[in-house]
Amino acid sequence: MDLKKEQLLDIYKKMCTIRAFESKIVEIFAAGKIPGFVHLYLGEEAVATGVCANLETKDFIASTHRGHGHLIAKGGDLKSMMAEVFGRTTGYCKGKGGSMHIADVDLGILGANGIVGAGMPIATGAAFACKYKNNGAVAVAFFGDGASDRATFHEALNLASTWKLPVVFLCENNGWAISNSQKTHQNITDISDRASGYGIPGVSVDGNDVIAVYEAAGAAIERARKGDGPTLVECKTWRHRGHFEGDPGAYKDPKDQEEWLKKDPIPRLEKNLLKLNYAVQADLDKIKADTEADIEEAVKFAESSPLPDPQELFTDVYAD
Amino acid sequence: MASVGIIANPASGKDIRRLVAYGICFDNLEKVNIVKRCLLALAVTGVDRVVYMPDYYGIVPRAVEGLAKAHHLSLDIVEADMEMTGTQIDSAQAALAMNQAGIGCIITLGGDGTNRMVAKNCGDVPLLPISTGTNNVFPQMVEGTIAGLAAGAVACGLADFPAVHRTKKIVVLKNGKPVDMALIDAVVLKDIFIGSRAIWDEERIRKVVVTRGEPDNIGISSIAGNLHPIGITESKGMAIDLGPGNISLMAPLAPGLIRPIQVAAYKILEIGEEINGEKGPLVIALDGEREVEVGEGEEVSFQLTFEGPRVADPRLVLRQAVAKGYSQGEQAMKKLHRLKEEN
Repeated sequence: MDLKKEQLLDIYKKMCTIRAFESKIVEIFAAGKIPGFVHLYLGEEAVATGVCANLETKDFIASTHRGHGHLIAKGGDLKSMMAEVFGRTTGYCKGKGGSMHIADVDLGILGANGIVGAGMPIATGAAFACKYKNNGAVAVAFFGDGASDRATFHEALNLASTWKLPVVFLCENNGWAISNSQKTHQNITDISDRASGYGIPGVSVDGNDVIAVYEAAGAAIERARKGDGPTLVECKTWRHRGHFEGDPGAYKDPKDQEEWLKKDPIPRLEKNLLKLNYAVQADLDKIKADTEADIEEAVKFAESSPLPDPQELFTDVYAD
Repeated sequence: MASVGIIANPASGKDIRRLVAYGICFDNLEKVNIVKRCLLALAVTGVDRVVYMPDYYGIVPRAVEGLAKAHHLSLDIVEADMEMTGTQIDSAQAALAMNQAGIGCIITLGGDGTNRMVAKNCGDVPLLPISTGTNNVFPQMVEGTIAGLAAGAVACGLADFPAVHRTKKIVVLKNGKPVDMALIDAVVLKDIFIGSRAIWDEERIRKVVVTRGEPDNIGISSIAGNLHPIGITESKGMAIDLGPGNISLMAPLAPGLIRPIQVAAYKILEIGEEINGEKGPLVIALDGEREVEVGEGEEVSFQLTFEGPRVADPRLVLRQAVAKGYSQGEQAMKKLHRLKEEN
C-alpha cells in the first residue's frame, strides 16, 4: 500500500471538509435557514474519501440521499453545493433541486438521489458507456444496507456481472435503513455475502478506517479498470446523526452510539498521522481551521445569492 | 460431564484477498451448515454440553434452529459467558470463558488469524480447527461431521498424544516486552499501516519468521516450505530475510498467487531462540494479517517457543477412539439409540 504523506494529508483534509460542511448544515438547518430535508454523512467520511481517492475525473459516481460526502470527495464545488442546499440560483441545480439532487457531470458526479437504491442502475449504465467507449473509466455506485434489499440491487448486479461491466458496488452499511436496524430487514449480516449470487467477488471492510477503505476500493477499482468486471465492497460504518436532520435517532441504543463514536474515522487518521510524524497537532489544527473557513465562505456565498424567480418553475423541465 | 466449545468466526473468509488474490468466498450460511454437522456428530459421542461464542450473525443459534425437527438435539447448548464486541477480540474472550469453564475441546471455524486469537487464551484445552479462512495452515480442511466426532472423542477422553499434540508459537516482543504472538508466521513488512490487514505483496516483505513451513502450505509460511520444510512437531523454526541473494524460489503467498521470492539469507531457529533488531517504522503481520504497528524508535524481536496450543488431529483421534471401541458394540449403539429416542 503506497499512500504517501501528501496523499494522506489530502485525504485528511477531504474528511475534515466533509465534517465541517455537514456540521455547518446541522447549525443552519436548526436555525431554519435552509428548505427541505437533509441527510448527513457525519461519521461516514472515511468511505467516500477512501473510495474517491482512487478515482480520476473521468470516472463516475452515483450517489444517494446522503450524498454530500460523496460529492465533496469527488471534487464537488463547495460554494455551488452550499448554494444548492440553500436553494439559491448559484447552486448546482439553480436552487431547484436541493440537497438530494446535486450533480456535476463534468466531474463524473451523476447525482445524489432521493430514491433509495436508484443510483445502482445509473452507475451500471455509466459503466456500460465506459466499456462501450473503451475509455478506461469506471463507475462507482454508493448505496446503503437498506438499498441492497431493493430490486435495483439485483437488476444492477445481475446485468453488470453478466456483461462484466467496470463498476464497483459500494455498500455503506451503517446498520440502519431509516430507523430499521439491519437485523429487522435482512437475514444476513455481511452484505458482501450477496456477491456470490451474482458470480462476482465481495469483500467486507472496516468503513471507519480510511486506509482499509482505500485499499479495498482501490483493488476493486483496479479490477474494473482492467476489465475484470464488477465487485461488491461492503464498508461497515455508522452515521452519527439520525436518518435526516430532525430525526433524534431514538431507536439507536446509546451504548452502540457510544462505541461507534470511539471509532470515529477522523481521530483514527489523526492518530496515525501524528504517530508517523507526517504532521504535528498544529498542522492538523490548521487544516481543520482552513476547511471551516472554506465552509464559512461557502455559506456567505450562498446567503448572498438570490433565490430563484418563481418563473424558473417552468425552465429546465424538458430538454431542448 | 463432557463438553465441547464452538468458536465460529463470522468475519473469516471475507477480506481483500478475494480481490487481490483468489481467496475462497466463505459465506456465513456455509459456516452454519458446518456447525449443524458438528452438532449432530457431537450428539452421538457422549458429549452433554456445547458452549459457543456469541457472534453478530448467530452461527450456532442458526444451526440449532435450522436442524430438521427429526434431528432435534437434547444437547445442552449455551452461550459462553462473555460480552460480545463484534471484533476479533471475541474469539480470545470466548476461548478464555471456555478454558475457565473446563471445556474438553474447542472446535474453531476460521483461518490462521482466528486460531491465533483463540490460542491466546485457550490454555491447555485442545483445539480442533476447521478451515473456513483464507490462509489455512493451522486449521484443517476437515468435514464438519468428522470434526464433531473427533472433538467429541477428545472431550470424552478417548484420545491423547500424538493425536493431541502441542504446537509451536512465535512470541512478538516490542522493546523487549511481549505484545502478541503467531501460530504459523510473523512477517516484517515495509508497510506503515494495518489498513485492510491482509498481506499478499512480496515486495513489501522484509523478514519472515515461521514455526513451520511445508510446500503444500498457502501463505507466507510456504516460503519456508519451498526453502527448507519444517514440520509441525519439529523442534525448530526458521527466520528468512527477503531481498537480493543467491536463492530464488516460487511460493503460493495467497490463494492463486504463486510469486517469485528472492531470499537474501535464512537461519534455522532453535526453540527459545530470539531474532532481534527489527526497527520501526514498520508493520508486523501475524498469521497472514497485519496486526502490530511498530513506530519510529521502537524495536521488535521474535522468540520461537513450543508453548502453542494443543491441537487435535481428527484422523489420529478417531483411530485412537476406534481402537478403544467407541464406534462399535453395545455402547456405540446406545449412543445412537439415545439420539434416536431424543428424535
